[in-house]
Amino acid sequence: MQEIIGLHNIDIAIITTYMLGTLALGFFCTRYVGNAEDFFVSGKALPFWAIGFSIVVSDIGAMDFVAVAGATFRHGVSAANFDWMGSMPAMVFAAFVFVPYFWRTGVFTIPEFLGRRYNSAVQFLNAIIWAIVLFLSLSIMLWVTADKLMYTVLGWDAMWSLWLMAIVTGLYTFSGGLTAVVFTDVVQLIVMFVGGFGLLILSLWEVGGWSALREQVLAKGPEFQEHFTILLPHDTTGPFPWTGIVFGLGIVLAIAYMSGNQVIVQRTLGARTEWDAKGGMLVGGFLKSMIPLMVALPGLCALILVPQLPIEEADRAVPEMIRLLLPAGLRGLMFAALFAALMSSISGTLNSASTMFITDILGEMRSWIGKKPITERQALHLGRAFTAVLIILAGIFAKPIANRESIYVFMQTILSMFQGPTLAILLLGITWRRATRWGGLAGLTLGVTFCFILQYTPGLFTSDDPFLFVAWWSFVFSLIVTVVVSLLTAPESEEKLRGLTWGSVIQSNAAQKALQERNN
Amino acid sequence: MEAQFEAFCTTWFHPVLSRVFHPINTLLNPVYQPWATLVALVFFFGTMLWVCVILKESYVNLERPNNRWYTDLRLWTILSMLPHVFVYYYFR
Repeated sequence: MQEIIGLHNIDIAIITTYMLGTLALGFFCTRYVGNAEDFFVSGKALPFWAIGFSIVVSDIGAMDFVAVAGATFRHGVSAANFDWMGSMPAMVFAAFVFVPYFWRTGVFTIPEFLGRRYNSAVQFLNAIIWAIVLFLSLSIMLWVTADKLMYTVLGWDAMWSLWLMAIVTGLYTFSGGLTAVVFTDVVQLIVMFVGGFGLLILSLWEVGGWSALREQVLAKGPEFQEHFTILLPHDTTGPFPWTGIVFGLGIVLAIAYMSGNQVIVQRTLGARTEWDAKGGMLVGGFLKSMIPLMVALPGLCALILVPQLPIEEADRAVPEMIRLLLPAGLRGLMFAALFAALMSSISGTLNSASTMFITDILGEMRSWIGKKPITERQALHLGRAFTAVLIILAGIFAKPIANRESIYVFMQTILSMFQGPTLAILLLGITWRRATRWGGLAGLTLGVTFCFILQYTPGLFTSDDPFLFVAWWSFVFSLIVTVVVSLLTAPESEEKLRGLTWGSVIQSNAAQKALQERNN
Repeated sequence: MEAQFEAFCTTWFHPVLSRVFHPINTLLNPVYQPWATLVALVFFFGTMLWVCVILKESYVNLERPNNRWYTDLRLWTILSMLPHVFVYYYFR
């Protein structure tokens, strides 16, 4: 079933007004950008609510609306684990362990911390891995939205749609930096919530309420009996067994994502106080727990409202619901919400990628060849230039990279390949003084290698798609390797460790004073 | 390329790794409800307890803008975790 949704003039007017408004707001924020700190960390002036809103909206893309609803249509509520188990505990952990720590050490990026704690090779390697991931996710976001949403659903030309999105978002990120990203995110979150909850309320109304939905789905047959069970057995062949959800997702992937993902961490580094940074994380976590209500539950409603939709076309659940339920005007608002989700994810990724490129890749390469460090002014210009180059490259390579059968599996596999090892060396680097540069390097490189081996050795786990187990076991493996290699190599000097391990950063007043002086 | 790498891994690593992971699978296969829900709830309550009881109040609320009850981040933690407790209990 391939039906194109028609938009009325009022829908097109709403979408156009929304996009022009976002662009204008983004340009307005340009007046607050005077130096590199303003561009990369918003001059350290962000309040908690803006941080919380921005974290959520940067994390939720337009494809989440489509793909999570599709996954819920196929697997039931267990697909929503990524926004529940995969968010709040990790965000609390990040708020009270990593955020204060990064805040006080004054680093701009996670690889920068790894560089100070271990060595420049670890910093460079980690930054390159993240740069590849951010580039891939940018390309995927652009192509999947253009192809699966705009072309398939609206009938718009995919390439034109892709460049429209890229240019609008690239322009305001290029000019306004993190301030523009965060304040457009605040507006985008409101639009997203209005559109998303509008669709949920109308879907539930049409089905006859929650109890009627539950009864009708369970009555559809034996294959739907687990659609209201959030934790599935360990031996399920699906991708979400409970052991994988608790250990692989809750402990490794979620904490690595919330504490090590530059897109998330950068917002908290721009906070005006440490309390705002922590509070922003908690607000973000609370708002994120609402996301499954608007992205997953419509997928369940579609089981009843679009019964003819084949399971292999589950990703069309939300577009079909929009076509069936939303009147003119609301349809425009819903598409504005989807564009909001896409644009905020793109802008967040662009800004973070440029921060990392300037700090960890270009900065390190210059120091290796003996060139002077980049000045504030150069960093600002280079950050803008990189933003422009990155969005153009992502636009050009979007189709060849993302035009594959299962984007979801591809992206999760890429993420699970290095999240475990990165978290292991990050945690040990912060909490264990004896961790050495060689331990960190071995933990990261051998850990990533072990991920590839687990991923490409079939038959080890019961799940057909074992990325959650790959993440967990690679984390354990990297912890062991880092500890063993560290114990076999010479300990780091006291001078190098001062102000870098958790105890001294959080508890020692002398270390905090020294850090403050250095950061100033 | 991917197929060749998979064949290589299957030949060289499967015999060793399956000896580690298959017994773990056998051990965990029969462990399901109520343990799955219990572990999830312990995870949520444990996080709340850690913030509210184990961490020092002065550390949790450092640079707090004022001393009103609603700026206490311990309360924010509980409020933002409770919906999750409800969800994992309801969808068990």
